[in-house]
Amino acid sequence: MRINLKIWRQSGPDKPGRFVEYTAPDVSPDMSFLEMLDVINEELIVKGEDPIAFDSDCREGICGTCGFLVSGVPHGPEPGTTVCQLHMRHFKDGDRLTLEPWRAKAFPVIKDLVVDRSAFDRIIQAGGYTSVNVGGAQDANAILIPGTLAEKAMDSAACIGCGACVAACKNASAALFTSAKISHLALLPQGQIERRARAIAMVERHDDEGFGSCSNEGECEAVCPKEIPITNIARMNREYFRAMLISRD
Amino acid sequence: MSTFRRVFSSSVGTKLLIGLTGLAMFVYLILHLIGNALIFAGPDTFNHYSHALISNPLIIPIETGLLLIFLLHVYKTIVNYFSNQSARPTGYAEKKFAGHTSRKSVASSTMIFSGLVLLLFVVIHVKQFKYGAWYLTTTAPSVRDLARLEFEVFRQPLWVAFYALCTIVVGLHLRHGIASGFQSIGFDHPVYTRRLTVTGVVLAIIIGGGLAFIPVWVYFTQ
Ligand code: HEM
Ligand code: FES
Repeated sequence: MRINLKIWRQSGPDKPGRFVEYTAPDVSPDMSFLEMLDVINEELIVKGEDPIAFDSDCREGICGTCGFLVSGVPHGPEPGTTVCQLHMRHFKDGDRLTLEPWRAKAFPVIKDLVVDRSAFDRIIQAGGYTSVNVGGAQDANAILIPGTLAEKAMDSAACIGCGACVAACKNASAALFTSAKISHLALLPQGQIERRARAIAMVERHDDEGFGSCSNEGECEAVCPKEIPITNIARMNREYFRAMLISRD
Repeated sequence: MSTFRRVFSSSVGTKLLIGLTGLAMFVYLILHLIGNALIFAGPDTFNHYSHALISNPLIIPIETGLLLIFLLHVYKTIVNYFSNQSARPTGYAEKKFAGHTSRKSVASSTMIFSGLVLLLFVVIHVKQFKYGAWYLTTTAPSVRDLARLEFEVFRQPLWVAFYALCTIVVGLHLRHGIASGFQSIGFDHPVYTRRLTVTGVVLAIIIGGGLAFIPVWVYFTQ
């Protein structure tokens, strides 16, 4: 099938960008979205033109490296899917698609569809870890964790940090990302020691990076390839209030 | 920075304040609707209720509190709106509602506009009624005849339309606001959150529709 694409091209961080039209004349429905771009890029290289820059690594939906908007929706129209796992069978012959990078003050464009997401790394560096030395591997049952909590923590830990939540949010808020990272540690015994400091430090880092606040629309949850629920955001709010206003420890 | 300033200038703390003040005004609106509905029981009942309200010594601190809550809500939402705008300096060429589990709605995407309409409305409304013509009832004991003022205003179709439209905007604001406010203050329960979201929408319709019905009813029956 034939797919018409309008793709954001920008040669560098401070360069002006614009949309350029491309056509992929012979797309197989079995291809992934990124494979289609690979084919276009091969042709561009043969013609001596600059290939379209986009991020990807695992291409199996688990690393969080890929991501851009496909016709106005981060990672494209399929729920719970990264753009590397989005297959062309979901599109029709003759479709016109617009590809645009994540847009947020905290995610400056590096080139074309690639943005700088190091703001996420700095949020993690602010407190998204446990720094206690746990020594050698313990007996698996030494620390008892109720199954329901383990499940919840795992659901939050499923966040791959792709940034689609920020891209979808009208406020470019990273509340879903930050809350998932706060949650998965707050729910587990290992996370208790730094729980208070973590909530404060990560929320403040989030704000300092220039992300907006949460308006509770849930666009983030809807585009999240891991379908992380916004109940995490309510938990982050509680963690933060508890740390700042209610509790000493 | 003091802890207090730190909390309430953060994104999460800002939303705590917006949520708390919004929900407080929502509770007030329920009472306001019930009070206003006494007009259906006749001008006397309504006038005596309004007299009981304004002659209660607690009314001054309560009104001051409400005013502060209102101003805090307005101040925080407007500052928050601009800081959220600046978090995305370059907009998208194409952006769609994500659908799926998203709760984004017309109401949720127009909060700042519905809010600004409400700001204007509340000023006009308070001036027109609270600080409006002070008629007295002819029957003893003589109290303020607020019903007469209400009937005079709502015999004019333009005012009826204005009030009906603005109170529907109240409903629209609450359509997103109620569930959103609870989420902002950290409320999240496996069963109650969903019930609350549904109840919130129903209450938004009852409050918006109920308040809009009163002027229409006055116009057609009084
Ligand atoms: C009748 C009076 C009002 C009531 C009952 C009310 C209620 C609420 C509630 C319950 C919320 C949800 C809070 C949250 O998301 O945490 C809210 C949000 C909001 N209100 Fe109001 N409000 C009123 C007046 C106003 C006014 C006068 C403005 C003027 C600017 C305003 C602007 C906003 C905005 C912009 C939001 C959304 C905040 C966000 O996106 O996070 N509201 N309101
Ligand atoms: S490339 Fe790893 S998730 Fe898409």
